[in-house]
Amino acid sequence: MLRFVLKRLVSLWLSLVVASVVIFLFVEVVPGDPAAYMLGMNAQEDTLNALREQLGLNGSLLERYLSWVGGMLRGDFGTSYTYRTPVSEMIGERMWISLPLAVFALALSTLIAFPAGIWAASKRGSIADVSVMSLTQLGVAIPNFWFAMLMVLLFAVNLRWFSAGGFAGWDVGFLPAMKSLTLPAVALALPQASILARVMRSSLLDTLGEDYIRTARAKGLSRRQALWKHALRNALIPVLTIIGLQFSFLMAGAIIIENVFFLPGLGRLVFQSISARDLIVVESVVMLLVFAVILVNFLVDVAYALVDPRLRVRS
Amino acid sequence: MSLLKIENLSLSIYGTPILKGVSLSIEAGQIVGIIGESGSGKSMTALSVMQLLPEGSTATGRVCLSGNEMLELPEARLCGLRGDEVGMVFQEPMTALNPIQPIGAQVAETILIHQNVSRAEAMKRAREALNRCELPEDKFPMSRYPHELSGGQRQRVVIAMAIALQPKLLIADEPTTALDVTTQAEVLALLKRLTREDGMGLMLITHDLAVVADMADEIVIMRHGEVVESGPCPELFDTMQHPYSLALLKASDHQPEREEHSGTAPLLSVQNVVRDYALPREKLFAGQQYFRAVKGVSFDIRRGESLGLVGESGCGKSTLTRAILGLEQVQSGSIMLDGEPVFAGKKPNRDVRRKMQVVFQDPYGSFNPRWKVSRLVAEPFHLLDDAPVGRAREAAIAEALESVGLSAGDADKYVHEFSGGQRQRIAIARALIIKPELIILDEAVSALDVSIRAQIIDLLADLGTQLGLTYLFISHDLSVVRNVTDRCLVMQHGEIVEEGVTADVFERPQHAYTKQLIAAVPTLPTQEEPA
Repeated sequence: MLRFVLKRLVSLWLSLVVASVVIFLFVEVVPGDPAAYMLGMNAQEDTLNALREQLGLNGSLLERYLSWVGGMLRGDFGTSYTYRTPVSEMIGERMWISLPLAVFALALSTLIAFPAGIWAASKRGSIADVSVMSLTQLGVAIPNFWFAMLMVLLFAVNLRWFSAGGFAGWDVGFLPAMKSLTLPAVALALPQASILARVMRSSLLDTLGEDYIRTARAKGLSRRQALWKHALRNALIPVLTIIGLQFSFLMAGAIIIENVFFLPGLGRLVFQSISARDLIVVESVVMLLVFAVILVNFLVDVAYALVDPRLRVRS
Repeated sequence: MSLLKIENLSLSIYGTPILKGVSLSIEAGQIVGIIGESGSGKSMTALSVMQLLPEGSTATGRVCLSGNEMLELPEARLCGLRGDEVGMVFQEPMTALNPIQPIGAQVAETILIHQNVSRAEAMKRAREALNRCELPEDKFPMSRYPHELSGGQRQRVVIAMAIALQPKLLIADEPTTALDVTTQAEVLALLKRLTREDGMGLMLITHDLAVVADMADEIVIMRHGEVVESGPCPELFDTMQHPYSLALLKASDHQPEREEHSGTAPLLSVQNVVRDYALPREKLFAGQQYFRAVKGVSFDIRRGESLGLVGESGCGKSTLTRAILGLEQVQSGSIMLDGEPVFAGKKPNRDVRRKMQVVFQDPYGSFNPRWKVSRLVAEPFHLLDDAPVGRAREAAIAEALESVGLSAGDADKYVHEFSGGQRQRIAIARALIIKPELIILDEAVSALDVSIRAQIIDLLADLGTQLGLTYLFISHDLSVVRNVTDRCLVMQHGEIVEEGVTADVFERPQHAYTKQLIAAVPTLPTQEEPA
């Protein structure tokens, strides 16, 4: 098991190196001169030179890459061109909104999807199954930003239980902060929970048809015991895959929801810095998101191995 | 009072009748063999006893297991009986165990759910059950996972689970069908020993008459959901009356009428063939390790003869087949068909490839279900440079279908409209359509019921005579190889350990492994005294 984790760690680092090279090439080399790109068509030659100097664009490609990577390893992501503040500070602030939001949404989605999926699978064909399937169909179909706006109308405008947007900040305390993340998290979790519940149900139904479930029943386990003791863990592999993909999506893909709720998260930061042509911020945030995705994949791989002994390296 | 008494049991699934008035009984300590072909209702009879019937089943009649009326008991009571009073062993050991639980925990579970004992005590008794099933502790610790065991070993774990609480009745549904012949003999001996030791009743379900002939006290023959004939064993083999029983007996040792061939010119020549597989790397920078699946094999197939290749799973016969078909490159040695190499340069030699065709085991899995029969049968045409089109193509398809006993009209159907035996005929038609010289039959009759198997064997023999075909007959089933081949090869661990005229090899085996294989084949009582 330890060897399996070590092997996965090696491939995690290799993926990171490849990803950083690709991002570096796409941001700094493919568009031509980054300074010219950032300043626009009418920039003066001396302003361009000054910016090149400031960005360290005068070194060779390898030097530039190494200094970028070296900086990131030390926690130095450079200075934003538009905001004139260190990128690491900007990311740090926004991370404390995006990360809790993603975790919150994922927790909600799992908490809804697991019971719903298990319930539907254990009562296949019943009214319970049909209603779960119809509701999840609806959940997949409804665009989450529209659902978010409906929730704002109901809970913020009419009932006044929540504020319509913005983030209270962690200084005011844990609960108020979580409260301002609740509506966005629910909006994000709804479609995810619908997909996850459907995957859970179909995976569990597949597993329940396996020969070893029949063996378990022949031992004297009831239908319910066979489901909990034998089917569930076997059904988890596809579910884990989806959870991994969803977490990556929640980290990076919350742009629209962050906009609907005026949350200053990472998604909005990427969006704003792309509009402002702030390549330094774009490069670093994209790298960070890639890192998050690769890390989550690593964790999912380890979770696979915990669930299924066949995936562990034979020792 | 009988241990198990089934009286007038009828079963229908969503209105379709499956069992019609089945009656049989099993006494304590008695082995009852239930024999029938697919669809005879033998498995459903077993599942009726367990009350693990599929959804939509309605059963009437009486199933009484040591005083319990199984058809009337509530589910909770049934759960208490399953595993405790009655244990069950299934056909497919590869999938019968939970892949993510160690074997010890799976055996102990039987004990834990029925008896109020500590986990440690349950594990101790699970260990004893595994020991009784000949899985000793030093080689098979409780922490083993199913994927670390072979098929036969997994079947022993399933048996250990079923007998852990010493049930009064053990039901074994085709327990050895998926196993090699030597493993089959061992598992059957184990079942027999356990039955005798514990005084259990054993319901042994199989399609193979010879399997039960050796060990059953009673035989029940089923067809189309009905009991056709039953009686004590082995006396029943002499007193059989029902035409179906007699036909079944005849079919299980069917010998086709075929001419012996002993031509001299080799059609296929395999010389010193070596096939290695790369093993997964243990360390990042370690050297590449190889597994040698075929270790310098040489043999010839003469034009017009039928050559058998027997061996157990993992002996390298499938690897050798793929090499002969030119699907994979060999590491050394040569394979020549009609004087030309099957693998030329970096790819299979098309000119040679069109002279041979293959028929596989699984008549269900080897066809694309969305294609019409005409398209399936015409597939090998891609090997020809001037494949017939239009009328000529239709005529060729019709000819191929008619030559295997189907009709030209079947070309417009889909495979799901055919039975297993008919599908295997379609597979043979597909092989014949480009008029090959060599046909490789890779376990081509292994999945078929005995009566269907007899028909396909006859068909192959007829086609061989008519068209002058050469066969390479690969099988783990020795009795079939004995009946249909002129010469045979015995393969073990990637080597050919014995080669010779089939009758000689079977009557005077030289190599220890061949002797072992032949001794393990279950035989029918009538085979010993030729008529």
